[in-house]
This record gives sequence, C-alpha cells and structure tokens, in this order.
Amino acid sequence: MTQPSAFPPTRRMFLEHLAGVGGTPLLLAGMSALGFGIEARAAAPPPLTGGAKGKSVVILGAGVAGLTSAYELSKAGYHVTLLEARDRVGGRSYSARKGVRQKELGGEEQVCDFDDGYYINCGPWRIPYWHRGYLHYARTLGVGVELFNNDNDHSYIQFDKGSGPLAGKPIRKQEVAADVRGYAAEILAKQINQGALDETMSKGDRELFLSYLRNEGYLTGKDFKYIGTEGRGPEINPGAGLNPPVDSKPHPLSDLLQSRTWATLQSVAGYDQQRTMFEPIGGMDQLPFAFARHLGPIIRKGHVVEKISQTPDKVTVAYKDAKGQHGTVVADYCIAAIPLSVLKTIDMQVSPAFKQAMSGVSYALVGKIGIQMKRRFWEEDHAIYGGHVYYDDPMIGSISLPSTGWLGKKGVVLGYYQFGSPAAQVSAKSHKDRLALAVAAGQKVFPQYAENAEKSFSIAWHRVPFNMGGWAEWSDEGRKTAYPLLNEPDGRIYLAGEHLSYLTGWQEGGIESAWQQIGKIHKRVNA
Amino acid sequence: MTIRTTLIIGGVAASLLAGPALAQDGAALFSQSCAACHQPQGQGIPGAFPALAGDAFVQGPPQQVAHVILNGRGGMPKFSGDLTDEQIAAVATYVRGAWGNKAGPITAAAVTAERNAGALPPPTDGQQAH
Repeated sequence: MTQPSAFPPTRRMFLEHLAGVGGTPLLLAGMSALGFGIEARAAAPPPLTGGAKGKSVVILGAGVAGLTSAYELSKAGYHVTLLEARDRVGGRSYSARKGVRQKELGGEEQVCDFDDGYYINCGPWRIPYWHRGYLHYARTLGVGVELFNNDNDHSYIQFDKGSGPLAGKPIRKQEVAADVRGYAAEILAKQINQGALDETMSKGDRELFLSYLRNEGYLTGKDFKYIGTEGRGPEINPGAGLNPPVDSKPHPLSDLLQSRTWATLQSVAGYDQQRTMFEPIGGMDQLPFAFARHLGPIIRKGHVVEKISQTPDKVTVAYKDAKGQHGTVVADYCIAAIPLSVLKTIDMQVSPAFKQAMSGVSYALVGKIGIQMKRRFWEEDHAIYGGHVYYDDPMIGSISLPSTGWLGKKGVVLGYYQFGSPAAQVSAKSHKDRLALAVAAGQKVFPQYAENAEKSFSIAWHRVPFNMGGWAEWSDEGRKTAYPLLNEPDGRIYLAGEHLSYLTGWQEGGIESAWQQIGKIHKRVNA
Repeated sequence: MTIRTTLIIGGVAASLLAGPALAQDGAALFSQSCAACHQPQGQGIPGAFPALAGDAFVQGPPQQVAHVILNGRGGMPKFSGDLTDEQIAAVATYVRGAWGNKAGPITAAAVTAERNAGALPPPTDGQQAH
C-alpha cells in the first residue's frame, strides 16, 4: 500500500510550481513565504480587485473547491450560480449524524441513527497547522476548531502478523518507541566505542555523537546501556505517601523486532501529519455550512449536471433538478469543481486531449466506519484520549478514538480506515458485516469493545454517487502529461478541486486550487 | 503486509487436481474482492465500474488480464499484495467462464510469470493517510 499523499513537495517542485503559474496575485502571497520555508504556499485568497465587469460564472459542485470559488467570486461582484447534485453541500467534507442517508452504488440504504450530537467525519477529519487556506476560512467565517490528537503515546499497537511474544496483543506505543530508540542508540554507541567510526568521524564529533546517543536512547552514563526509561511508562504509577512509582522493564530487543510494531513509529511524523492538528468543532460539514449561509440562494441543490457545452462567448450547463425538470444555466465562465472520477462521465464539450487527460488519474478506494459506543471505555479504562490504535490488518488499518466530547458519556470511534484492495473487499460486505468485521478487530484490542458498540455508519467512497473515490491519485506520468493540461482552462471551462493540487486528498488542495482558478478568471476578465 | 510466497506446482497435474475447488474459490474470491464494484453478476455500473460479463478484454489474452489484476488500472486497485498467484488465477478463471463468458482458464504459473515480468515492488508497511 502506498502513501496516498503526493507529499512532501520538494524545493524543486515548489520552484516549478512558481514558474508555472507566474504572475498571479496568489503567487505573490506564496512568494512572501518563500524565504521562510514552505509553510504558506498561498496564505490568503487572491485579491479580486478591479471589478467583475458584469460577468457571470456557473460553478459545478458544492464541495470546498466549489464553495470557495462561489464565495470569493460573488464577493468580488460576479454573478454566480452554484449547482449541486445532492440535497446537501460539502461533498466529501461530510459528517454522518442522526438522519443522514447514504446509498452506495450497488448497496443498501443506510440511515444514520447516532444519538443527538454524535457524528463521524466520513471524509476528511483533520487539519494540519500549515493548511492556511482552511484556517483562513475557519477564522473569517466563524467556524470554531479544536485540537485533533493525531499522535497518542499511550495508545496501542495491535500487530497480529508479527511473531514472538509481543504479537497478537495490544502494546502501548510509548513502550515500543522508548525501547527501540534505546536499543538502537546502545548498539550504535557500542560500535563507536569499539572504533567503528574512527576512520570516518573526527574525535570531537564522535564525542558529541555519543552524547547525542546517550541522550536520544536514555543510555546509562558510563557504559551506554539501555536499561529502560520512565518514558516507556512505569509498571505502577507514582502515588501519594509511601507509594513511589515502580519502574517497568524494557521488552527484549528481539521480541520488539519480531513483533514489527516499530513500523508504526514514523506513521504520523510526515509534514502533513505533524502536530499541531485541528478539527472543526461539531463536524467537518461545519465549514461548508458556513459557506452556504453566506451564499444563500446562489446554491441550487438537487441539480444534476447532464451536459456542459460552450461557444467562444458563453458556457451552457444543462441540468436535471430534483423534480425531474430539465433546465440550463448560461454564463460567461464555468468552474467544474467535480471529482474527475465523476466529471469524466459527463457529456462535456472540451478538446479530445482535455477529455483524455481527465481519465489520466485514478481515485483512491477508501472505507471508513463510525461506531457509536455506549461509554468511553478507551478513556475510562485505558487512559487513551484520542489518537490512533495501529492495526496491521489492512482491512482495519487503524482504530481512531474521538478528539471531541472528552470525558463525556458516549463517543463515536472510527472502527477502520482502509485503502486500495482491502477497501474493495470490505465494501463488498453489507453494512452489518462491515460492522462485524470492525467489532471483531476492536475486541482484540479492547475487551469492552463489542458490548459497547451500539450503532454504526459505514462508507465506501468509491461507491458513493457524485464522488466515486476518496481522492485523486496521480502517477508521475499523469502529473507530467494530464495534470498540467487540466490546470489550464479549455475555452471557458476551468476545473478546480483537490485533484488539481499537490495536496491531493486534503481540503486545502480544493481551496488553493479554487484560489488559483478564480485568480486566472479574474485576470482574464480584467485583461 | 507481505507478498505471500507462491508455490508453483507442475501445470497439468495441478490443474486436474485443483479443478472443482478452483472454481469454487474463484467465485468466493470474486464476491470478496471484486463484486463491490463490478457487481455480483459482473454487470458493473455504467459510467462507474466496467462490466465484466460479456467483456472482450476479460476474455482476451491471459497475461493482460493477470497484469490488470496485479497492477490495477484507472480506478481499480492493485491486488498484487493481497492475493496469491493461485488466487488471482482462480478468480480470473472464474470471471472468464461466468455469466456467459467463454474464455479458457488462467494458470497460476501465468500469473507468476506476469508478476515476475513486472518486477512488482513489495507493498510498504502500513501508513496513515488523510
């Protein structure tokens, strides 16, 4: 299984990108941060000054890219119409809560029956601190955020496929982290003390390196041994009075190696996974809802796009509304903010090369399930507050504990998060069987799991109409050939979405892609 | 996740021995790994997932079919890390003979040859995504 994110961008990619879009106001915003690293590629929407010249734009799809486009363009004075196929806004920024209905292609209908106030974020669920576009809108539209715990030292690693005494049972992550660091440092220090680096490192550097290793691996002062550390968690916690902590003993190195639990330690170290991380208070649909409140009647829900055609002067979008009535919207420009997996199936008047390019990307198969638990046993009985339980069954991937409703009565746990062929396999099951799979796995980690699982909602994004996939996955070849073409308009039709970014799968990609495309339209209008 | 090691047993004898069991496994594997998208009767969903019933590619050259199952294509994921060559052979054989399809079986040896030809990289250890 490969990491779906195309990240990290290299310096080279950054410079290529700057060269590719040169001259837009967006670029200037990004440029300002160049000297300070890559934190802010685009920190704010492009300033659309100079007037809209009475022009109109029809936007297709009320996901974050479409909503961002509609919000900024209407604010700048454009006549905007936003067509959305479903009866809700948000696209994949979607939370299942009481009354939410979902019917996958070829599947049975599900109605979410979680208790009031409980939800699962079915799509995106976390906001890295450097996703400044998202945070800009959360700030300016008044969407509150709370911390998302993406790394919990006290959580478990459940690896059934390893071998040895640590396989097949939950092991606290902090034990594995401390022990493998300790042993690795000890072994390296021993090698250095035996002269292994005498030829390649100066004496001064060797001494500093040894100091680093002693520090890094919690090694004993004189003989550089790892004999455990309080950071792996004590055997018995410190208490009051005559109750000092009782030290724990490290796991044997061989047991750790054979368990393969160490494979999880770099999981959330990547740039798009690091702390600080946020989530919107109340669900991932809160930002789309906030956009929708500002846009009002600009959004026309229940309008399924049937055909997109254009002349040198106008774009015409034919739709069918929820009552089955056919109609058209005519505008000066169109922004199709629809996933390519769906857009490529729509009758669209673009060049053959453009049409072909839309098929040059694949979409991730992704499955998730939210399980409402009667009580927060992971907090009450296991002292685990948020974060992920790593599971080496690819059908499960991770079990994630909620970063909201702390110390409350109930909670909704993410019971699995799988990709690729395991997602295909799980999605072939009925909702009931998906739940059974998730509960059987969770029960191995938490003895309280099955008895507390009371309600669930599962989703397989590749089977969801109007999405048909979790996120775009570009091959290197696709990035070179199809991708640049789709970033440029075909006549009066522009595309926007996470698929037209190097932040695929993130809402930030949709937002920054929208900023880029509206910047181009505005420049053209004011040329 | 590791690629499971594959035992190659001599062609004719193995296929004779494995005959009925293979067909059964193929049907089960199909419903586990393929039916979510291609649908239980291989009819697909127009515009979304291609039909396998009556499809010319499915009934075409075996190595191309094996290639797509191993490597994925378009929206289809790769199964090289999840199914053994025997399993891929079983499911491909099933699909080529079900719902009116009339193509011959695909052997595990043919799948192995395709896997080796592609020098498929082993899947990496589990990672978090978005």
